[in-house]
Amino acid sequence: MGLPREFHEQCRRLLERDFLKTFYQWTSEAASSVTNRIIESDSFVPEVKVCTAALDLMLQILNWDFRSNTSDTKVNVNVFSSGVRQDVDSLKRYECHLVQPGSDWRDVLILSGHIGWLLSLYAALRPKFSCEGYWLDCPIAVSARKLIVQFSSLTGTVFLSDDGKMHERHLLQLLSGILEWVDPPDVVSKAIENGKSESEMLDGCRTFLAIANVTTPYVFDGLLKSIRPIGTLTFLSILMSEVIKVLITSNTEEETWSWEARDILLDTWTALLMPINTITVNTLLPPEGIKAAANLFGFIVECELRMASASAFNDEGDSDYLRASVSAMDERLSSYALIARASIDVTIPLLTSVFSERVTRLNQGRGIIDLTETLEELYSLLLIIGHVIADEGEGEMPLVPNAIQTQFVVNSVEADKHPVILLSSSIIKFAEQCLNPEMRASVFSPRLMESIVWFLARWSSTYLMSSDGIVEKILDSGHHYEYSSKKALLSFFGEHNQGRIVLDIIVRISLITLTSYPGEKDLQGLTCYMLLHSLVQQKHICVHLVALNSWHDLATAFSIEKTLFLLDTAHQRSLAQTLVRSASGVRNSEESSQYVRNLMGHIATYIVEMSSKSDFKNIAQQPDILLSVSCMLERLRGAASASEPRTQKAIYELGFSVMNPILVLLEVYKHESAVVYLLLKFVVDWVDGQITYLEAQETTAVVDFCMRLLQLYSSHNIGKISLSLSSSLLSEAQTDKYKDLRALLQLLSSLCSKDMIDFSSDSIETQGTNISQVVYFGLHIVTPLISMDLLKYPKLCHDYFSLLSHLLEVYPETFAQLNSEAFTHILGTLDFGLHHQDVDVVSKCLRSLQALASYHYKETGNGNIGLGAHAMGLKDSSGEVQEGLLSRFLRSLLQLLFFEDYSSDLISVAADALLPLILCEQSLYQRLGNELIERQTNPNLKSRLANALHSLTSANQLSSSLDRINYQRFRKNLNSFLVEVRGFLKTV
Amino acid sequence: MSDEEHHFESKADAGASKTYPQQAGTIRKNGHIVIKNRPCKVVEVSTSKTGKHGHAKCHFVGIDIFTGKKLEDIVPSSHNCDVPHVNRTDYQLIDISEDGFVSLLTESGGTKDDLKLPSDESLLSQIKDGFGEGKDLIVSVMSAMGEEQICGLKDIGPK
Repeated sequence: MGLPREFHEQCRRLLERDFLKTFYQWTSEAASSVTNRIIESDSFVPEVKVCTAALDLMLQILNWDFRSNTSDTKVNVNVFSSGVRQDVDSLKRYECHLVQPGSDWRDVLILSGHIGWLLSLYAALRPKFSCEGYWLDCPIAVSARKLIVQFSSLTGTVFLSDDGKMHERHLLQLLSGILEWVDPPDVVSKAIENGKSESEMLDGCRTFLAIANVTTPYVFDGLLKSIRPIGTLTFLSILMSEVIKVLITSNTEEETWSWEARDILLDTWTALLMPINTITVNTLLPPEGIKAAANLFGFIVECELRMASASAFNDEGDSDYLRASVSAMDERLSSYALIARASIDVTIPLLTSVFSERVTRLNQGRGIIDLTETLEELYSLLLIIGHVIADEGEGEMPLVPNAIQTQFVVNSVEADKHPVILLSSSIIKFAEQCLNPEMRASVFSPRLMESIVWFLARWSSTYLMSSDGIVEKILDSGHHYEYSSKKALLSFFGEHNQGRIVLDIIVRISLITLTSYPGEKDLQGLTCYMLLHSLVQQKHICVHLVALNSWHDLATAFSIEKTLFLLDTAHQRSLAQTLVRSASGVRNSEESSQYVRNLMGHIATYIVEMSSKSDFKNIAQQPDILLSVSCMLERLRGAASASEPRTQKAIYELGFSVMNPILVLLEVYKHESAVVYLLLKFVVDWVDGQITYLEAQETTAVVDFCMRLLQLYSSHNIGKISLSLSSSLLSEAQTDKYKDLRALLQLLSSLCSKDMIDFSSDSIETQGTNISQVVYFGLHIVTPLISMDLLKYPKLCHDYFSLLSHLLEVYPETFAQLNSEAFTHILGTLDFGLHHQDVDVVSKCLRSLQALASYHYKETGNGNIGLGAHAMGLKDSSGEVQEGLLSRFLRSLLQLLFFEDYSSDLISVAADALLPLILCEQSLYQRLGNELIERQTNPNLKSRLANALHSLTSANQLSSSLDRINYQRFRKNLNSFLVEVRGFLKTV
Repeated sequence: MSDEEHHFESKADAGASKTYPQQAGTIRKNGHIVIKNRPCKVVEVSTSKTGKHGHAKCHFVGIDIFTGKKLEDIVPSSHNCDVPHVNRTDYQLIDISEDGFVSLLTESGGTKDDLKLPSDESLLSQIKDGFGEGKDLIVSVMSAMGEEQICGLKDIGPK
């Protein structure tokens, strides 16, 4: 305690090197010495407790995070790579602990027959489970099983680098030991259903997972072959089918053993199949394993569908549970997809036939029987297919999955026979039927549409008009075998082939979901955020989009018709953004500006007309007016956030035209916090998107507008108190306030950025707009609104302090001119921030202090007043002398550094702040230092402290200038100072 | 959930044009809604489906803007709900009378004397204290569906 981390590290290394193994040996000897007694006796003997404790201790020791040889493990593993995986990092994902004790441990763990002893102990225990004092889950059995699982994850240099033979032997020994826990699967599972404890089964599965994590699929598969006629993969597939079978027959809500076993086994498959590097799955799986995977996947699909149809009439009211299970399901589906891709040439045709069979069933039963079960099956099926044939982009362009790229050999003439194309086409053809109103009413339920839209979004980002350039390049460079499948796929759905037709279908389906499914928020959300949003990310798709009639229909519906007002307002914003963004596909900038004007013109006009109505104040609060104003503002905000250089002019004009109306609205809706927030957010997004492009004159206009907005907002809100009986309404009001202020701070920050990044042709100074003045003025307005209570909101706190530190660094001179009230307020917040828990906030405060102090120091050095009166001690109204701000902060910073807890990351920032503070207030610093020394009673420590304080300011040729080198020296000094004295300062 | 047509019976006794119909799906958190004939502020909206492949329905949790009571309602999201017309007006506070009524200055220069002070102690003291200290207070009065209540005050400072 109180000792440096380095010391602890050392202790740790020492323990690992010198003692752990000895401890382990003692424990294992202790355990073996009692083994015979345990095995021989038929009833519970006291030695069992000894043995259990020993096993537990061994497990704990093996859980040690072995470090000493991690660096050389890597080297060794490379030699070893034929049998063992190298990607240790990627395994963390499965939360499987790898045990890598290093070569020193070889004799204890491997060569001494230790494993054999443990296995035979457990084997001897098994028949005793019926005896008194023993049962399947008795402590000793549990500990022994845990240790066995732990041994399975043994890897690294503990094994000889003999091509993994030793490791294989080790694993084989373990495997043959645990096999009877799970084999034969059907018998075991039946026994468990009849009341036997499931723990052996689960631990068996865990062992498989552990082994899968340390081997390649080939080695994994080969292990079992030496003792059984089938490979491990086949066994795994049989085992898993059995588990799934139990899972769906029990079909209960609560988590059963089969549930857990399934998850472990799925993890095992994932560990085996997760593509590493560029090696394709095929080269990793032996043919038998591929067949096993195919069988398993077929069975999985069958079971999933059966589960779907069984749950079709469950009307779960518990939506929280649903959401949790959706994300779990996503994970499960990705594991299924891995299994499917391992045998892709079988699974795709299988999925195609299952899908078309369900569709046929729909068509036959339409209007005659209840289709809910089939609908639910199709829902699941679409999710599975989506996962199998496409990856999630996660912000990047997803590629065609490796397995699909390489597994199919087709010549491009027969591209339409490609299994993946057949599957995709049949789904798209099915989806297209929702355009027919009659079909829509009878078949396409909102939930089914959700899965269709989800599928289309996922599919289109991989296949639709995908990276066409690359396709052509491949075409040019001759027929690469490896790419032929991908080429066929991508060119089939490319720009010059089916791509346009499919795109048109997708847009028409989107329009239908937005207009013909009133109130289906989830569906519309998917359409707006996933499908349409991802379409406009790529410029070459936009080029086609804006040429489509269906897209034109969508734009018209958006700008003129009333129907889309019924969408959720956030969806409308996203739609506006999407539509404006698609303007990048219009041929030239002139036309794309016109496109934006056509799209948004009506909306701006509406706002302008509304605000100029004479009776607007009276009707403004009417719910219908309120709704349409909110919709319009959301749309404007969406458009504003889609600013691009090309459409910037048009969007500027759009915003400019509503400037005055915005102020009118702010006045009228001052009590309607939701509208106020929308107004502010629109301005924030608009300014943020525009500010860097604006010319001087425009900047002046925007800045003036922002100032008026700020003034108006603050005049409405300073001194306002909400009265309400309901505490939750009061806290809502507080949250609204917080969100508003955060928006205002963002506004100020983006105004600030004008000084940093400026693309306009002339400098803003020509118009006499001084951004720093403006922002300070803004801060003046905003700071009184920021209370300490509000700073407890982490995001607001963060924004506030980053703005503050930025301002103080860049324009300290304006800070000096603030009036004393605002000044004190800001200092108060700085003081608050200095003692914040968040390292980031503290370091921002320290940076602000540095900026202030160094400014003052430099200015006074040049004979100016610097911070002037603020730095001096002040007599306040009650006649007491208040310290100047620099002395005050010097004091509190020293206090912080010497006596309080803080992250060590802060030390260098603190040093940067401390140096100028000390330079400014040398006498105070001397006094504080002396006080500190005087307080020390122990003469030894006293002299140490005195020396340390002395060398803090004199070592390393520290001078009294504020340049980089000096800062660096002081950082070093402070660091060694703290190492030297903090230990006893804090404890004494 | 029955799919019968929505009817506006609540509108009749709520007074003319006090409420407006609006599609349930468009009512958002922080908006207003009439639940059990009371004007409420929506504090929570969640959607669910009537059966897996049925239509969406909205579940609203509202807080009565006058009494602070919590009310809940479930409406198919494509159906209409009533939304109250909530008006807020600012008045300057002139006087607080002994019998618990306030006297307010209207925009046109007249006075409005029919509004009672809130009965809740803490709210009452916030108003009385401010007024007692001689501050110039603006009170905002919220009115909806024929009811009125003071909902906020603001110190506009000494002149």
